[in-house]
Amino acid sequence: MIRVRLHGRGGHGVKTAGRIVGSAAFHAGFHGQDAPVYGAERRGAAVASYAWIDRGPIRERGVIARPDLIVIADETLLADPASGVLAGAETATALFVNTDRVEALALPDSLRSRVIAADLTSRTLAALGRAAALSASLGAAAVRLLGAVPLDALLQAIRDELTAIGVAPTELGKNEQLARDVFALLQPLAFADTGKSLSLAAQSAPAASERTGGSMAQVGYEGVMRGTPSILSGGNSAARHTGAWRVQRPVIDPALCSRCGLCFVQCPDGVVSLDAEGYPVIDYDHCKGCLLCQRVCPVGAIHEERETRAW
Amino acid sequence: MVDGGMRKLLTGNAAAAWGARMARVDYVPAFPITPQTEIIELLSDWFGDGTLRGKFVTLDSEHSMLTAAGAAAAAGVRVFTATSSQGLVYGLELLYTLAGWRVPLVLVNVSRGLSAPITLGPDHNDVLAARDTGFLQLHAETCQEVFDFILMAYRLAESPAVSVPVLVNLDGFQLSFTREAVELPSAEQAGRFLGPFQPLHPGFRHSRPVAQGVAVLDGATYSYFRYQLHRAVENALTEFPRVAAEFAETFGRSYSPLELYRADDAELILVMIGSYATKAKAAVDRWRAAGRRVGLARLRLVRPLPVAELRRALAGRRAVGVLDQNLAPGLGGILFQEVAGAVAGMANGPAVMRSFVGGLGGKDVSDDEFDHLLSTLEAARPEDPPADVELLMTQSEWLQVARSLTVAGKEGGDHAGSS
Repeated sequence: MIRVRLHGRGGHGVKTAGRIVGSAAFHAGFHGQDAPVYGAERRGAAVASYAWIDRGPIRERGVIARPDLIVIADETLLADPASGVLAGAETATALFVNTDRVEALALPDSLRSRVIAADLTSRTLAALGRAAALSASLGAAAVRLLGAVPLDALLQAIRDELTAIGVAPTELGKNEQLARDVFALLQPLAFADTGKSLSLAAQSAPAASERTGGSMAQVGYEGVMRGTPSILSGGNSAARHTGAWRVQRPVIDPALCSRCGLCFVQCPDGVVSLDAEGYPVIDYDHCKGCLLCQRVCPVGAIHEERETRAW
Repeated sequence: MVDGGMRKLLTGNAAAAWGARMARVDYVPAFPITPQTEIIELLSDWFGDGTLRGKFVTLDSEHSMLTAAGAAAAAGVRVFTATSSQGLVYGLELLYTLAGWRVPLVLVNVSRGLSAPITLGPDHNDVLAARDTGFLQLHAETCQEVFDFILMAYRLAESPAVSVPVLVNLDGFQLSFTREAVELPSAEQAGRFLGPFQPLHPGFRHSRPVAQGVAVLDGATYSYFRYQLHRAVENALTEFPRVAAEFAETFGRSYSPLELYRADDAELILVMIGSYATKAKAAVDRWRAAGRRVGLARLRLVRPLPVAELRRALAGRRAVGVLDQNLAPGLGGILFQEVAGAVAGMANGPAVMRSFVGGLGGKDVSDDEFDHLLSTLEAARPEDPPADVELLMTQSEWLQVARSLTVAGKEGGDHAGSS
């Protein structure tokens, strides 16, 4: 069995990418299973999806703690320990990272040799005109790295899954071409090195058990204050840097700004303030990148820049 | 698109919606709640585009939703609805009422742990809070079972010997959002198995307005009707094999109230419900490969509880462990009590029984935990002192919890994890 875990942010298409992997394997004759995991449902929040692929029935449920392949749509997640991108990475065959600067990634040295990098975002932007519509390119990357799933199964999966989420027929061809390009760009992984094989012809080895390691805990009574699920605190939402959810960054050009204050008034998150001269200042720690400010600016003083860096 | 007759990847939620679609339901009252919402979204689409004919209505709460469901079923149409967790317990009062009305309808519950603290992850405290309402309860392990059980549920609910509502349960996330291959029959095949609804109650006619009264004030009459409900639910034990046989004949998949997996010669048996049974089967296979005689007994039917089948399955075993994905504070695992009650007084009952609680709020039950559980059963002896219920949590998970408590400023606990 091969376990694939994909990570990204809400809006990247990670759920659909996982479904493309599951569907492609299913179309190729494997048993496939896929599932997304997310908490609060919102754009920009860290999300993951799973795909299991095997010759026989999948005998797992829930989390993939020990993935064979990790696919990371957004390198900024590497700087967010809470997203758990690298959980179980020690035993993974490979990590695929969507990036244009693999050498600068915040990765432990032990994992660096197993990283495969490609800039899918630029390719997606060029092919579709939208940087965050990564479903097809991410799915294609994962399927290609699996090795055992042919291109036609991948393309059928892309047509099925994108149609299911309402992608217009005119866009399907562009996504298919993007997937072909990514498929041609990457080489299949040698999963055989790990004693695993993913082939319809050969009898695959019994699935290695997914050890989470260690003995059982003995949990005792620990008192009321510790044992009550409440946190009493003053306002602390400022400590949560929701700016990490941003895909596009609004940037104000002071030379063009007329100081009308519309962005300050209209920002739904209240992250635009006015400085002493009345110029708007964006709090990037908390700006979620909705770009409403750009839309309401009457003089076109706000442009958008793609977020590509952890900050 | 031809309706059905295909094998495709479906989430448990989509499988549930397809079940309602193939049952050609007339009326769906709805209220959203994660992780169930996808079910009513799909049904809303299908009523909207004319695939399903009838009425889809959004209500202002689960309490109203269940009232509407019961009233519609009493009026003589086939009703489907779905909820989860907080929604189920918010509507709990109505579950007793609907069962008391003896109206056949199908309610899907997508299991999710109850607040507080809040979680979106699955466990069975929600659905087991409804165990004494008079609804039948079917518990799915796979997305295929979700679909199949809904068709079977209508047959059971509408059977004259039963005529009570049926709850079909699937686990949030682990099934609700997980896609796996599901065989969908053709609409013609489904129609052959489940004909049109033939209401036993008078039903509603526009030309003949009637009111339904259910007031009974004295205890003896009340006792009579409650006992009738008990017998009706019990009758499902007789009906289930009939319905299952016809289902197997039509669709080729065969279901018993209690699934036995590699249990024939097993000395150790694990009893449980729900989707984690898939992982339990993998654990049984691992132990079998190492030459150990272990097996699994999975309850598909929780109400009525198939007591006779449990007794047959557990007779003469060296040790039986029950894995509860729920926790009744002050008692332990709910199903452990029920299984222990079922085998109480047997001359050749299991020599040892052990109670485990795991997978609360969607926590994984890892291979290590299944191994620990089976090792505990293997080591258990009848002369051992009675064992308390054991919470399954790995040491690494506990250290993670302890770290979170520290971050939250909750000092003072025993971080080493010893009791």
